[in-house]
Amino acid sequence: MGLSMLELLQLLKRRKVNYKIVDSTIELLVDESIYSVDVLHKCFYWYSSGYDITILRSDIADGCLQVQISPKNKSNEFEADCLISRIKQDLIDYKLRDIVTKETQSIRELIIAKAFAYYNLDTNPATDVSDPVGFNPNHDHVNG
Amino acid sequence: MDNLPVKNTRKFKTEEHYNNSSSYHLLPFRFHRITSLKEVLVNEIGDFLLVPIGTAKAIITKSFTRNENEELYGDLIANFFISETPIPELLDVLAVRYRTRKSFLDYFTSLHIFVITLRCEHTCHYCQVSRVNKDIDAFNMQKHHINAGIDLMMKSPNPDITMEFQGGEALLAFDKIIYAVERTKVEAQKYNKNISYVICTNLAPLTDDILHYCKSNNILISTSLDGPDYIHNQNRHRPQKNSYELAIDGIRKCRETLGEENVSALLTTTALSLKYPFEIVDEYYSQGFRNIFLRPISPYGFATHNDKKNKYETSTFLDFYKTALGRIIEYNLQGQFYREDYASIILKKVLTPFPVGYVDLQSPAGMINNVIVFNYDGKVYATDESRMLAEMNDYTFLLGTVEDSYEDIFYGAKALELSEYWLNETLPGCSECAFQGYCGSDPVFNYATQGSLVGFRPTSAFCQKNMEIIRYLFELMDSDKRIEKVFKSWIVGRT
Repeated sequence: MGLSMLELLQLLKRRKVNYKIVDSTIELLVDESIYSVDVLHKCFYWYSSGYDITILRSDIADGCLQVQISPKNKSNEFEADCLISRIKQDLIDYKLRDIVTKETQSIRELIIAKAFAYYNLDTNPATDVSDPVGFNPNHDHVNG
Repeated sequence: MDNLPVKNTRKFKTEEHYNNSSSYHLLPFRFHRITSLKEVLVNEIGDFLLVPIGTAKAIITKSFTRNENEELYGDLIANFFISETPIPELLDVLAVRYRTRKSFLDYFTSLHIFVITLRCEHTCHYCQVSRVNKDIDAFNMQKHHINAGIDLMMKSPNPDITMEFQGGEALLAFDKIIYAVERTKVEAQKYNKNISYVICTNLAPLTDDILHYCKSNNILISTSLDGPDYIHNQNRHRPQKNSYELAIDGIRKCRETLGEENVSALLTTTALSLKYPFEIVDEYYSQGFRNIFLRPISPYGFATHNDKKNKYETSTFLDFYKTALGRIIEYNLQGQFYREDYASIILKKVLTPFPVGYVDLQSPAGMINNVIVFNYDGKVYATDESRMLAEMNDYTFLLGTVEDSYEDIFYGAKALELSEYWLNETLPGCSECAFQGYCGSDPVFNYATQGSLVGFRPTSAFCQKNMEIIRYLFELMDSDKRIEKVFKSWIVGRT
């Protein structure tokens, strides 16, 4: 089922995502320094309705993750080129989303914490607010 | 003069300051492809930018520079997609905007549904509720349950409360409605609550006495209209096959007595309806309605018993929706105001900073936070759909009975358990979705259709429907500025 070491090394030299089709299963080999396990899970979640997905650490290539994708309904043939092309685009999209999520995590927490902390409804000022320019139509003002 | 120190002001910065901004910091935002040419960027507070495909990638990988596109750079800064400082100077503005987006939570539960009776004289095949036509009081809400329900309602922190009477056919127990309204009027004064009353009815049992009582108590009428007679009568069975005639006659009488603005109609889309998008839109218009709510059938109750008539693919509903929406837009482009309500709910979230009080598209979900159901038998459910599941002997969303304490029902163990699943910010498939802020979480729908409160987005009809409708609305706005203008008119309610 797996890739031979020679095949793997040749593929790794060329691309960040490599694949091989064995029977009706696509085996992807992904460089973990490029696509983390989080990214793979978020990406292949969307494929799990039509495909059985297995994500595991590669035992033949250090620093690589292996993704096995096989159609749930074996009689369903899939267009490998089309599917691989879609997967590659999705991997990039989920990698980009992951960058934003991780880089902005603390800002997001700050926004939400500030939004809900020490919030009082309808806090009226304890004293009258002056209105020298006369913005408030209900206030009597000097030039009115 | 040359020796004078350069004075720094807050208002004016040097030219270098503006040119030296090739490095920026990302702020939280998400993206989604709208067409083969455009993608939408949506930030944490729901502001969006429609940009060419590849823009998100350029921004996120920091290969985008200010010099490349000054206008976009300015938009990204001004709309909180990127910041030139690690913590944006206007962080407090972002926080207030976020708070505003979630302001539907401020006052807690508003909509209190009283299932005043389970009796009904219709036998609709898609009815989401069990119904009984026996003329016995056992299926009406008992007075002590009404009293206890009103007591709980008065404990809501919300000063503005909607009390909605549902059935069965609510008008078959009109004496109970009168009892409930009279008691609520007294209690509302005591607890300083503003109450809006709504009766959901098919209008068949409507009488002049009922109308006059509604008039003198400002009670709104919400009825059902499924389209022209050949659809409505097929959907809504009565022995006399005259449901349509009674509904139309009832709508006319309600308008005459209560005023046009106090009568609304809801459409239920069955498999039969899907063949008639134009006819349904035209029927609503010709009956004087200037809005229509194109909603799919709910996957609950009797609706699940009749697969042939009621089960259809979400994609088929989406085709119907788009065709009907196109027809409605045509009316508007010809100068008539005519609004589609589901689109309007989404558009208000997209185009304004404010939330919408629509319980099916909220995060945290509308259940408990915005709606509670007191069933005819005194049981309390998290949503209207929850009691429909209960009629199928599934009590997953049973919170207690009207005799339990407010705290036990609204803040009890069951409510706490459900709260684990009511935020789309934390759900798989939703957490990084660009449409998160426009959509919502519906654990009851997830449970009813997929057997899990979390749900499974890749096959979720809720997800498929909302993702495509929201995407389509963006596509329409981008494709034709006249449509964008029409959409904006729907939000403000005028042409």
